[in-house]
Amino acid sequence: MNGYTTLVRLEFFRFWRLIRQTIFPPILTTFLYILIFGFSLGSRIQEMHGFSFILYIIPGLTAMGVMNNAFSNTSTSLYMAKFDQSLDNILASPVTPLAIVTALVTGGIIRGLLIGSITLLVSLPLLKQPLYSFWLTLFFLVLQSIFFGCWGIIGALRAKVWDNLATTQTFIITPLVYLGGVFYAIELLPPFWRKISLFNPLFYMVDGTRYGVLGIHETSLWCSAGLTMLFAFGFFGLCVFLFQKGYRLVR
Amino acid sequence: MHALEILGLTKSYSKTHALRGVDLTIPCGEFFGLLGPNGAGKTTLINSIVGLVRPNAGTVLVMGHNIQKNPMEAKRFIGLSPQEININNYFPIGKIMEFQGGFYGLSIKESKMRAEALLKHFCLWEKRKGGRYQLSGGMQRRLMIARALMGKPKILILDEPTAGIDVELRHELWEFLKGLNADGTTILLTTHYIEEAEILCERVGIISHGKIVACDTPRELIAKHRLPPDMDRQDKFKFIRPGSLEEIFVTLTGEKK
Repeated sequence: MNGYTTLVRLEFFRFWRLIRQTIFPPILTTFLYILIFGFSLGSRIQEMHGFSFILYIIPGLTAMGVMNNAFSNTSTSLYMAKFDQSLDNILASPVTPLAIVTALVTGGIIRGLLIGSITLLVSLPLLKQPLYSFWLTLFFLVLQSIFFGCWGIIGALRAKVWDNLATTQTFIITPLVYLGGVFYAIELLPPFWRKISLFNPLFYMVDGTRYGVLGIHETSLWCSAGLTMLFAFGFFGLCVFLFQKGYRLVR
Repeated sequence: MHALEILGLTKSYSKTHALRGVDLTIPCGEFFGLLGPNGAGKTTLINSIVGLVRPNAGTVLVMGHNIQKNPMEAKRFIGLSPQEININNYFPIGKIMEFQGGFYGLSIKESKMRAEALLKHFCLWEKRKGGRYQLSGGMQRRLMIARALMGKPKILILDEPTAGIDVELRHELWEFLKGLNADGTTILLTTHYIEEAEILCERVGIISHGKIVACDTPRELIAKHRLPPDMDRQDKFKFIRPGSLEEIFVTLTGEKK
């Protein structure tokens, strides 16, 4: 066992042990979205890109679950390790910064994909067709979880109190996710807001996921893939750099 | 080769000078005691050795490896039991020990075996399925030492390991540490129990205001610094046995323990 595999086991053990907090609530929330926006309100909304509203929002809800859970996993894990000082024990051990960051992100990917997979599996009977592209769906979901996992790491490094993380999630991530086209196509927006939406990186991630699941997209697939990769690997590099420099870790 | 070589170590926190050019060499296999009053710089020195504090100047060599330039190689040799309890709140202690083995490259099987042996030795085996908060203060302290030994360290650093441990267990721990040292493990111990340092340590360093003010065997320190027996003793020496290491500590640091 090396530092990386040990930390991945530790991450998995942590969120599995707290399954009632980490897995069940996001699944319940996603199903409530499907129930309310899909079945209840969605029946009054006309088709979007040839799909019923409930089908149209499933890729967005999947992406939203992945994003929120990847962020929650890394941010909670790292913040709590800072709080009980067990992080000092890891930092004093012969585990490289790269291994620590990669393991935290892997934990975020596993939890994010677990939530995303359950959402998609339950939605498959509604789709009445296989995923348009399994590999593209996986590609976008993995990159999203890397991006949000890294965002969670940066948030936890910066956070001095728990409120700092809650504020990031409530006032930054949630609006960006909701305005990223989870529940609507941005072409329906007035021109000004459509242009503003194009500056939201989450729009490209949701759009790419929608292409993977349904085969429809609003912007260039290459653009979505490129930007998603840029954000995912850019944030990953930033996290490794911050750990190497000991940002808010080494006194 | 020296286990630890510290040269000109300096560390400041804004206006506080925690370390002011500490020089210290600890040969392999030595049992070394570091004594100092609260705020003298003991913990900052220890955290600099393990890479948790970045010094402003100076060098720390662990078995010849510079902790700043080659941290992974240097950290492999060290087992640390810090002053603050820093045990993960989420996990049962059996898992905590197992994961610690993994950080030092032990296989899962090897980690489990070593964890079992150490937990049994420190009388914690029955508690392995419980969390940190099911342990008393003394048990948590023992768990910290057991965890520090998971990586089979060549250098064991113990920052006040016997704080909160009852007398009987403290004596058992002393025996254990003596045995460990006899097997070749270098031990750096900080303690507030001066008799502990006197009994266990081959050499003792006294740190005050971020500087090592004396460093020698307890016997030599007493010989060099003891007060004249006929001297008019001030209040702060009233309860101190003349000619003890405690007297030397108070003389050199100006503080009564």
